[in-house]
Amino acid sequence: MSSPGGVCIEGVVKRHGATTVLHGIDLTIEPGEFFVLLGPSGSGKTTTLRILAGLESVSSGRVLMDGADVTTQEPGARDVAMVFQSYALYPHMTVAQNIGFPLKMVGTNTAEIERAVAAAAAKVDIGHLLRRTPGQLSGGQQQRCALARAIVRQPRLFLLDEPLSNLDAKLRLETRLELHRLQRSLGATTVYVTHDQEEAMTLADRIAVFMDGRIVQVGTPREIYSKPQTIAVAGFIGTPPMNLMPGTWHGDAVTIAGHRLPLIRVTSIPREVMLGVRPGDLRIAPSGLKARVERVEDLGDSSIVTLMTGDRPLKLKGDRLQPVREGEDVFLGFAPEAAHLFDANSGARL
Amino acid sequence: MRRIVVATIAGAGLAVWAFPVIWGLLTSFKTERDVLAYPPVWLFKPTLDNYREVIFGASSIVPNLWSSFFVSTSATLLTMLFAVPASYALARLRYPAKRASGFYVLATQMLPPVGLIIPYYLVLQKIGALDTYAGLTVIYLTFSLPFAIWLMVSYFEDVPFEMEEAALLDRAGRLRALWYVILPQVHGGIAVTTIFVFLNAWNEFMFAVVLGGNRVRPVTVAMFNFISVEQTQWAKLAAGAMLAMAPVILIGIIAQRHIVKGLTVGAVKGGGRR
Repeated sequence: MSSPGGVCIEGVVKRHGATTVLHGIDLTIEPGEFFVLLGPSGSGKTTTLRILAGLESVSSGRVLMDGADVTTQEPGARDVAMVFQSYALYPHMTVAQNIGFPLKMVGTNTAEIERAVAAAAAKVDIGHLLRRTPGQLSGGQQQRCALARAIVRQPRLFLLDEPLSNLDAKLRLETRLELHRLQRSLGATTVYVTHDQEEAMTLADRIAVFMDGRIVQVGTPREIYSKPQTIAVAGFIGTPPMNLMPGTWHGDAVTIAGHRLPLIRVTSIPREVMLGVRPGDLRIAPSGLKARVERVEDLGDSSIVTLMTGDRPLKLKGDRLQPVREGEDVFLGFAPEAAHLFDANSGARL
Repeated sequence: MRRIVVATIAGAGLAVWAFPVIWGLLTSFKTERDVLAYPPVWLFKPTLDNYREVIFGASSIVPNLWSSFFVSTSATLLTMLFAVPASYALARLRYPAKRASGFYVLATQMLPPVGLIIPYYLVLQKIGALDTYAGLTVIYLTFSLPFAIWLMVSYFEDVPFEMEEAALLDRAGRLRALWYVILPQVHGGIAVTTIFVFLNAWNEFMFAVVLGGNRVRPVTVAMFNFISVEQTQWAKLAAGAMLAMAPVILIGIIAQRHIVKGLTVGAVKGGGRR
């Protein structure tokens, strides 16, 4: 690597006319880290990535790389490589020419280009495809070609914009593993954009969750999953996402639709809260919150039960053979330590 | 039955399209007597006299073919030299008044050419450029440049933005990104535009007849010499027309692949407009 690849974003605001896309974000990415920007569509994650690449200017704020201010630097001067969602391969060039293009642009001699292209292609297992053009490659091979073009010049920072989104489900799983292995072997700082939380959870050292142009939480996958800081994060992370139920917290229990559900925490002042329980933590109980079974989905190794409490749907994830039938009334419970509490007004974790 | 109907309609369409060309070709091999024969003669003794006359004779159009070639080529080269960067800029760059400048280019195409002839004549006369290659070439630029820019903008817009951004990240810079990544992908569009610009200049008559003269007399004007008050030399006119068509047909055959590709590209591909 040409340098360690630490990145710091300070108070970056991005406006498009009257629309503010990023509302002052701050982020520090450590050298060698696999950092994922996760969020729903339109949350500002791709804009952030493009700002790091130098493809978008900032309205205010600074971008630092290895301590140097690169806010106004051209993309080519930043020593970063990017893999686009569409791969953006040059269709009139062969795979070898595509991979060698960044080296050709800096005047590397032909022999050195050939050697580097062969090495990069071998790393992503496309050494046998060098003479083909992108149009003659499958989606997975095109993706590898784009990766090889990114790694060939050993930049200090890799930027990946939803690189797996155009692959089918099976190939996506395989490529995800290879991507992780490749990043670890190169040791390069990697910033990866995705809206797929499973991808984020499996790949990331740390995740920044974006919502409406703001970073709402930064942490390891485990932290984000087990301690979501807002209702929005809780509702976004997890498949299916966390069940959220409005209720009143007083003493050592929360009351929802007239039912007292025990908690391990105590408050002396009654508070309006949003109770969160992961579908995997919810279980059928002899007593508790009454619900009607709407649908049982058998996923093979597990099943997801959709239940209705009043007009609010809940999801329960459990064993493949759930002892319930559609239309049946059941009671729901959960372990007190599995409860997440959020302030009903601010949405912040309590 | 349906195939017969389709074939009949297609045949009729083809006949309407091909008849003037075939009739002109036949006429070019007739004597003036056969041309004027009534009813028209279908079987006649072909002659090359008309071609001999328009190539080697007193009314040779070879200098005029050269004149057309020179004006058309220089107008085409200059047009493409300016139109390629201009259309790239209109398609890709963000700059103040981009929309207005794009509309201005289009607006110049809205002026009826006949309304421009007198101002052009006066301007060229003032600067002593009447009946000069430079004068006529510049005048041709005034209508071929907007045409070429607007034709090519869509080709540039069809190249995905990300491809150029990838080149910028690969440290190509804007000019080398244009040269190595963008231009190879729009070469079909550039080829088709070049051909259309050349053909427009080659076939142009109105400006040539008014702003040209004895020194600069393109073939379209020279052919007019075969038509006079006393008589029209149809056979020589037809021979001249066939000769004038030859380069156009040649270009068409050579560039056919590009023309078809260039005209259909962008029809189904996702655009890079942003």
